[in-house]
Formats: sequence, structure tokens, C-alpha cells
Amino acid sequence: MRKTVTDSTLDTAMTQARPNTLPWKRIGLFTAGMLALLIIPILIGDQFVSHIFVTIFIFAGLSTAWNIVGGYAGQLSLGHAIFYGIGAYAGIILMNLGISPWLGMFVGAAVSMVVAVAISYPCFRLRGPFFSLATIAFLEVFRVLALHFRELTGGATGLMIPLKFGWEWMVFRDRTPGLLIAFGMLMVALGVAWWIRSHRLGFYLVATRERESAAQAAGVSTVRVRLIAVAASAALTAMIGTFHAMYLTFIDPSSVFSLTTSIQIAMFALIGGIGTIFGPLVGALFLVPLSELARGWLGAQALGLHGFVYGVVLVLVVLFMPNGIVGLTGRFFNGKNDEKKAQAAPIAAAARASRPPIGNDILVVDHLDKHFGGLHVTRDVSLTLKEGEILGLIGPNGAGKTTVFNMISGFLKPSSGTVKVRSEDGSMMMPVTPGDFAAIGVGRTFQIVQPFAAMTVEENIMVGAFHRHSDVREAREVARETAHRMGLGHYLDAEARGLTIGGLKRLEVARVMAMKPRILLLDEVMAGINQTDVRRAIDLMLSIRDTGVSIIAIEHVMQAVMSLSDRVIVLSSGQIIAEGKPQDVVRDKQVIEAYLGKDFVHAEA
Amino acid sequence: METFLQVLVSGLMLGALFAIVSVGLTLIFGIVKVVNFAHGEFLMLGMYLVYLFTTKLGIHPLLTSVIVAPLLFVAGVVTQRFIIQPLMSARDDHIQIFATVGLSTALINLALLLFGADIANTPSSGLRTPITFGPVRVLLGQLVILAVSIMLVIGLQAFLKRTQTGRAIRAVAQNRAAAQLMGINVNRIYMLTFGIGAACVGLAASMVAPLYPTSPNIGTYFVLTAFVVVVLGGLGSLTGAFAGAMIIGLIDSFAGFYIGSDVREVVVFGVFLLILILKPSGLFSNRLSLSHVSP
Repeated sequence: MRKTVTDSTLDTAMTQARPNTLPWKRIGLFTAGMLALLIIPILIGDQFVSHIFVTIFIFAGLSTAWNIVGGYAGQLSLGHAIFYGIGAYAGIILMNLGISPWLGMFVGAAVSMVVAVAISYPCFRLRGPFFSLATIAFLEVFRVLALHFRELTGGATGLMIPLKFGWEWMVFRDRTPGLLIAFGMLMVALGVAWWIRSHRLGFYLVATRERESAAQAAGVSTVRVRLIAVAASAALTAMIGTFHAMYLTFIDPSSVFSLTTSIQIAMFALIGGIGTIFGPLVGALFLVPLSELARGWLGAQALGLHGFVYGVVLVLVVLFMPNGIVGLTGRFFNGKNDEKKAQAAPIAAAARASRPPIGNDILVVDHLDKHFGGLHVTRDVSLTLKEGEILGLIGPNGAGKTTVFNMISGFLKPSSGTVKVRSEDGSMMMPVTPGDFAAIGVGRTFQIVQPFAAMTVEENIMVGAFHRHSDVREAREVARETAHRMGLGHYLDAEARGLTIGGLKRLEVARVMAMKPRILLLDEVMAGINQTDVRRAIDLMLSIRDTGVSIIAIEHVMQAVMSLSDRVIVLSSGQIIAEGKPQDVVRDKQVIEAYLGKDFVHAEA
Repeated sequence: METFLQVLVSGLMLGALFAIVSVGLTLIFGIVKVVNFAHGEFLMLGMYLVYLFTTKLGIHPLLTSVIVAPLLFVAGVVTQRFIIQPLMSARDDHIQIFATVGLSTALINLALLLFGADIANTPSSGLRTPITFGPVRVLLGQLVILAVSIMLVIGLQAFLKRTQTGRAIRAVAQNRAAAQLMGINVNRIYMLTFGIGAACVGLAASMVAPLYPTSPNIGTYFVLTAFVVVVLGGLGSLTGAFAGAMIIGLIDSFAGFYIGSDVREVVVFGVFLLILILKPSGLFSNRLSLSHVSP
């Protein structure tokens, strides 16, 4: 008992120590760096230098906004010029009507958000390159429409801003105010990106990017979080677009709604470090001066030179440093933290409380049928799970066990039949989507492990913990506690992709446990792990049961099935062929036949 | 009625053009499973080569294909070997997308550096001669494109079905690991396929250049339409792509005539987006060869 106490105090101490020491140093560095960026061009006072810095700020800002969708959410948009263009046109059109661009940019942002949601919603079904292609197609449509509606956009001739100077019109004779506004917009973009990345939304976005189904199982509304990201990204892009139009004083469809701009925006993020907060800024800092200087020195003969350099750098970065510039430095910084590994604790089965009695039905499955075309995967499967009970679900390969799991967690729609779950207030509900099931307290693991590969073990478990705790600090604490309980304390800072299969199975359970489910669906969590771990896992499951969680476990490890299950259901060819106490079921003739064939039954007799 | 016939035939001719440009892209997508965003730039490169060979050496544009197609074959093999192959095992899609997008950006701007932004007109050498069938008028060059695109699809189909190499290519497309276990050199097959895909576009260039002015950005227009065709055709099916190209050609032609030539792209891309969203496996994915190839 005493030992447990010390362990948890140690944990709390660590949780608090870590976020406090590093960030202050980082914030200081960051502030100094950003201020330098602003002061250098002002001190130099040269037109050309100012222009380079404004361009850096604008593209860094655009790229930071893009990174929210392209990096965090992993939706590789090559159509962000749409939002940039909407912002630019909204700004100038309204300015021609006598409305200040300061208002115009919010109008542009609002329109962009609507357009972004309308475009993205149907496109989220598309994977990788097809999402990119669809965004390019939308961009082309916008460009052609901008050319077509001449009254509004001026068509191919473009739009010129009226000659009004001053802060209220965002147009200036000297460069410094433009520098300040561009810098301010970059800071806003960085601020939004930082906020998203360090809060629940950011974790959800990355989780969705890494494994959509696992994120859904953890209760993430994957479509909603991505739409929020897209809307935020589009709004920021449009606002920067408005300012850029004022800065350039002239826009036309081919320069604004251009694929080249879209590609550049994405490229800066990739070269700097996709999915990182500062990557886009670093990318722009590195590339913009390169191309602007080339343009300045070589002049008109060098038409295309900067684009050529961009393209070549992009290919080289992709080939030789796919994590970008920030990825390289990140590796350098992280190297130092290796010694600070958390203390290990083997799976710590908490002192076993006495087992609560088995209660009422908590999950009721009636007549589930599922067929894919003519293939019937399950026929008329009915079962009930009682509160506090462990129900073993066994059967030969291809019996339909995982299909049943998919139907009772919302991942597969039954062809017919119903799934009812008792909610916390006692009423029976009929959840439909994975999100519904998660919300009502059903947690599941996947037979084929689905880690969020690029996240650390701690972050993986936090995604589960966010289901009950929206605060990052709380979620982190729950995640650490769960990790220690699951014997993953060693690996908190390790990336999930580096774990062994046994570690991944534990991570799978840890993530679902952090959700504090009332009903737990475990799909072969013991397959492929060693004997010692099987024994530990059995103890762990019993301790989970003793906290009042009801469990259905698909399992092939008979040692576990026999010692854990209160009841066992045997599924074969999609039908329930036996149900009862574990000892009785394994002697059932039909069951033996299903596993070992008719000959064996005859031989026995 | 006569106008309708003319629009119809123009649509089919346009379809043939899209088909010949898309064949190589389909092949690369279906087998290497890489979406080659630089495909249009291969076409652009080919068209500039045709332009150079015709204006500097006085070779007939159609004859240049004998040189241009092999040159592009080499370009394709080099691209696969040095850019795509190192990324074949990359975890994320974005790596491959950016690689080909980067290549495309580099090639467009290289052309801009070398040839300037001005349009390069390849001599038509008789390919712009109009031929009339009753009320309908087509250009000789368009008929050549139609004939060659049909022969190309049939030829490639026969190559994939009948020859040992073709079977190896299909095996790799179906299951890379299993093909490797059967002793097929997968990397070599990918290089070969990418090379053939690029060579197809080289062949296309020799026929497209006399009819269309060449500029650094010419590839972008064609490649977007080619992607529409590939998706419509069921992602990797050659005959599907051919049918898709005809459909897009007809849509383009009719929309251009009856709705307005400046918005026909909106209609084409609108159809593309609808297909992509409603039936991402394409219109012909279930019936034709290589249909197993899914995104």
C-alpha cells in the first residue's frame, strides 16, 4: 500500500515538473527570435529588405494556416489558394464600396469558412492524393468562375485597389506599417496553430490523421474536428489574403487562384517541417529570401529560376529529410531528454477490491444479421452482457467474432437486428455511430493493433483520456497513471511505432482504459504475448472487472478464457452454437466439432 | 442537326486527345500506384522536344516520336529510379505527392528558364489539313490521334495480357510482395512501367504539338483533365480510361458549345468532383481489366 502512494506522488511531481521547466526557456527564445525578425528589417530600413520580410511573414502565415489542415489533420490540400483568393477579392471588392479592409477581411474569412466546410465535407472520404486532386479541381473551378463573373471580379483584367492611404485602408506609402501588420498576422496564425496543437483538438486531429478508426473508437468525432480545423485554416488564410491584396495593390484570377501559390504554401510547411508549429515559418525563412534574392540579382533573365529552385529543393527535402528542417533540429534536441525516462513499474494490479455482484443487463444484442452480398457473416446472433460480468466470445477463425464486435461498437451497420446499451442513467439506448457508442461508455480495442504511430505512448493514451477530461493537464495525468498501471511507464516518451507487438497490445488496452469505459470490448488482446504477460493481463482484467466494468473478450488463449470468463459464447460460421459456463462449453460436442472437425468427435466416441 | 453532329465529332476528337495523354498516367497509376503530378510536364517536355526537332532539324512532327518517345522513356525510368523508388516504402502519402509536385514545379520553371514564357509553335506539316465528311469537319491530325490512341490502348492491353513481361507487370500490380516471392524484380518492373508510361506521353507529344501551341504551362491543363479521365475510367483501367476520355471530350465539347466556352472547365471539373465523391472507384471499375487496382 505504502509503495503505491510513493509511486503516485512521484508521478504527480513529474507531471508538474515537466511542462514548467522547458516552456519558459522556449518562450523566451521564441520571443527573442520573433522580435529580431521584426526589428532587423526596421533597422535596416531598406525597401527591398522590408519587402523580403513582408513576403516571409505573409507566406509563413499562410503556410502556418495550411499546416493546421495539411500537417495536423493530414489532409493535403492543394487548393488553399481558394481561401487566399476569396480573402483578396472580398477585401478589394468591399474597399471599392468604401468598406475598410479591416472589416473586409472578416467578411472574406466568413465566406472562406463556409466554402471550406462545403468543399471539405464531401472530400474527407478521399484518401491522400485524391483529396489533393479534388482540392486542385475546386481551385480550377474557382479560377474559371472568377474569370467568368466579370461584374464582380473584373474578369481577366483583374482588380486594382483605389488609391486611399492610411491605417484604415491598410495601404501605406512606406513599408514599416505593412511590416507590422504582416508580422501581426503571422503571430495570430502561429497563436492559433499553437493553441490547436497544444489542446484537445490538436491531439484529436493528429489521432484522426494517424488512424481514423482508432480515433473514432476513442470517441473522436473525426469529421467534426477536421471541419473545425479546415474552417480555422481557411479563415486565417483569407485574412492574410486580404492583407496581401492590399500590399500588392492589384489582383487577377490567374495570380490569385493559382496552383503555384497553393503549392508554395504547402511547400514551405513541408520543407520547414510538416505538422510542427514552427516548421512553416522556418521553411518560409529559408526559401523566400533565396528566391527573392535570386530574382533581385538575376532579374528578368532568371524568369522561372526561383520556381526551379523551389521545385528542386522540394524534391531533395522529400528524398533526404522528409521531416523537414525542424525535424532535423528536433532530433538533436530530443537526444538530450533520453535519460529522463520515467521509472518503470510492472503492470500494477491495484489491490484487488472485493468483486461487485453481477447486476442487470447492460448490453443487449438482438438477432444481429450481417451479410455482404450473398455472404452471411453472422446469422441471428443474440446475446446479453450483464453489469460486472466477463463474457468470453470464442470460435474458430472466420466465425464472425470481430464482425460482431464491429456491430456492437458502431463500426459496421447490421443488416438487421438491434444493439441496445444501458446508459448511465439506467435507460436503454440504441447508439448508431462509433461516436455514440463511445459516448455511452463502450470502449473497444482492435485485433490488429491501431496505434497512432507518430504520437508518443503518453499522447496515444491521452487521446483516450480526453474522452472524459477536456483539459490537457488532467488528461496527461490520467494517461500517465494508466500507463503505469499497464506497465508502459518506461515508454511514455517513446513513439508508438517503436513498440513491440506486446507493447502495442498493452497500449491498445491502455488507450481504451483511459476512456474509463463502462463496457469494454477486448479483441484478442492476449494473442502473441508471452506467458508472463498473459498471467499479468489476466490479473489486470480481473482488477478492471472489480471496478465495475463489464467486459466482452474475444480470446483464443484458452488459459485466459477459462480463468476469466463468467460465461462463454461460442460462435461458429456466424451462429451461436453454445453458451454457458466455461467448463461446460469446452466439453460441448458441437463446440469440439466446430474446432476440430467431425472426425475428431467420432474418434473420441 | 449539323451543328450537333459537328459538336459530337469534335467531342470525340477531343476525347481521343485526352485518351492519348491519359494512357501513360493510367498505366503508372495502376501499376506503380503513384499519382504522378508531373505527368503533364512530361508532355510539355515532349512537346518542346518535338518543337526543337521539327524547327531545328526539319523532321516531320510525327516522325519525331521515334526519338522523343525513347527519350521520355529514359526520363521516366530515371524519375522512378531516383525519385519514386526511394519513397515507395514511405509511410505517408504526402511524401510521394510532394515529390512529384516538386518535380512538376521544377520542370515547368526549367522550361520557363530555357524557352521563356513565349509560345512555341510547332509547324503543323499538313496535320492541320481539314477533312470533311458531309457536314462534319475534322483535322487530319485529330484523326491521327484517334487512330493512334486506339492502337496504343489495344497494343498495351495485348502487351499486358500476352507477354511474359506484361504478366509480370500485372502480377506486381496485384500484389507486390507475392510477385517478389515469385522471383520478379519488382523495382525493375516499376522502372519499366514508369518508362512506358512516360514514353506514351512522348508519343502523344509528337501528335499534340503540331495542333496545340507549346508553353511551359501546357502540361497543367492537360494533366488535370488526364486525372479526371483516370478517375472516371476506374483508376488503372486502360480501356476504362479510354472510355472516360471520350466521355470527358464529349462533355467538354457540348458544354463549350451549349453553355459557354469560358465555363466548360467548370462542368468538366464538376463532373470529376461528383464522380470522385459519389463513386470514387470510377465508372468502369467493375468490368474492365486491371479493375483490381483500387486507390
